Amino acid sequence: MMALRAITSVFTITEFELRKVYHDMSQVFIRALQPVLWLVIFGEVFSKVRVLPTTGYSYLQFLTPGVLAQSVVFMAIFLGITLVWERDLGLLHKLLSAPIPRSSIIIGKAFAAGARSILQAIVVFILALIMRIELTIDVVSVLGVLFIIILSGMCFSSLSIFLASLFKTRERMMGIGQAITMPLFFASSAIYPIDLMPDWLKIIARVNPLSYIVDALRALLVTGDFSRLPVDLGVLVLAVIVMVGLATLAFRRIIE
Amino acid sequence: MDMIEVKNLTKKFGHFTAVDDVSFQVGKGEIFGLLGPNGAGKTTAIRCLLTLIKPTSGEAKISGIDISKHAGQVRQLCGYVPQDVSVDGEMTGYENLLFYAKLYYVPGSERKRRIQEALEFMQLTDRANGMVKSYSGGMMRRLEIGQVLVNQPRILFLDEPSIGLDPSAKRDIWDYVVRLRDEFETTILLTTHDMLEADELCDRIAIMNRGRIVGTGSPEQLKAGLGGDVVSFTTSAADCSALLRQLGYQLLSRSPDSVYDIVVSNGDREIPRILEELKNHGIVTTSVSLKRATLDDVFLRYAGKRIDESEADWQSTRMTRRTVRRLRK
Repeated sequence: MMALRAITSVFTITEFELRKVYHDMSQVFIRALQPVLWLVIFGEVFSKVRVLPTTGYSYLQFLTPGVLAQSVVFMAIFLGITLVWERDLGLLHKLLSAPIPRSSIIIGKAFAAGARSILQAIVVFILALIMRIELTIDVVSVLGVLFIIILSGMCFSSLSIFLASLFKTRERMMGIGQAITMPLFFASSAIYPIDLMPDWLKIIARVNPLSYIVDALRALLVTGDFSRLPVDLGVLVLAVIVMVGLATLAFRRIIE
Repeated sequence: MDMIEVKNLTKKFGHFTAVDDVSFQVGKGEIFGLLGPNGAGKTTAIRCLLTLIKPTSGEAKISGIDISKHAGQVRQLCGYVPQDVSVDGEMTGYENLLFYAKLYYVPGSERKRRIQEALEFMQLTDRANGMVKSYSGGMMRRLEIGQVLVNQPRILFLDEPSIGLDPSAKRDIWDYVVRLRDEFETTILLTTHDMLEADELCDRIAIMNRGRIVGTGSPEQLKAGLGGDVVSFTTSAADCSALLRQLGYQLLSRSPDSVYDIVVSNGDREIPRILEELKNHGIVTTSVSLKRATLDDVFLRYAGKRIDESEADWQSTRMTRRTVRRLRK
């Protein structure tokens, strides 16, 4: 009974988060701008100069999974700002006065953030098609990509909720978000292979969940080499569990 | 049985005591008001009762259920309309209600009916499919109340229900609140800093100041407790507070521009005598008026100042309520 209620409330939170996206589809297109610019400008230029060794594949092939992961993660990392905004308005106090478990709010919102990223992925897929970037597109790769994207969205939106519970203001969250996204992106395998990095940066890249996300996406979409996939997925699932746990523990502080 | 029982409730934020040893009871179907200025601790008190924040000490029962032991059960029985905006502008009115119907586990077979009833009760049926961001302030407020009605709460917590509304929208909200009590026997605990609202709406009031309850009773009792009417007069003469006390008058207040308020049992008869006495002591009055005692006068007696003068300073307001001022006009 209790468990069933907890699960229904997760889906309730997710449902209404997605209804809001449905009411304002323009945000989806605006959010798709960034990955488009990365692929079209950065990708095109760097594939011309050929400075980055991407053995056997074109640079755009190498970059596309990275840009996809980046766009999902960057969007999720700012979810905390929305939460602070809802707290400031009063929405959150009312939500917390409902009999649903607190964790269902975190999981529901995180899951919605993950599901919302699917639209992001579709935009990147379409763009790849237009730019004639060669990607493996079959049932396994598409389902795998969607699964990884949802988990990635959940992982980083929970991190964002955790941070929002500690830092509490929109201004600080903007700063924190910016401060995190840069190292997260550049200290990962998103735009260049980890082997090129100096040793100290390699260490950071190895503990960076984004590296594992990119690695898994790259395996599914480009290389077809699934040997590291279990490790990638294991790390990602573990990261989701840790982040959701942290966010749930810290969450009550956001209203105090 | 009392629907709300609060015993020695205290909530501290660091060194700041927001709610200080507060006790009160609210009976079934009663409209009970916590009256006090901003920063008096009203909102913190109801957030404790709603299990949103943990009290530092003390205990409370909602419908006989201990709030610290069975938070989930308490929340299932209650409805909370916070002071700030609590409906989502990015959804339609209907969706906002459906959302809460689901959050309160209203069975699927009943949702539609309860939502229709809430819409009809708050007179929003014709705008149900409009986006909430296009609603007026009064409509949003009605939807905010409608949102918790889908749960058919036994106890309703309203934080400043009519703040920021124009006079006619305010009256509407009062009517809804009274009808909720009359038709469904809902117990209502509201906070307000509006004297008129407390006076017209509440069966009983607890006056709060700096985290403490300084007086409790029905508005009539509280006003009668003052001992009569308020005579205020203006004089250009020097401070005559001492003289008034010496003459045996109960001086309620003296404003900086030399308006004196005194309490007398039978105002219209006493005025000539007061003026006569003042004249005998060489004090010329330039104007005089008589008014029935208001809750503002009551607050003045208990808290030592008028309610609008005692708005807490910037820091303590910020400490108790970190929310932004409402965005609504």
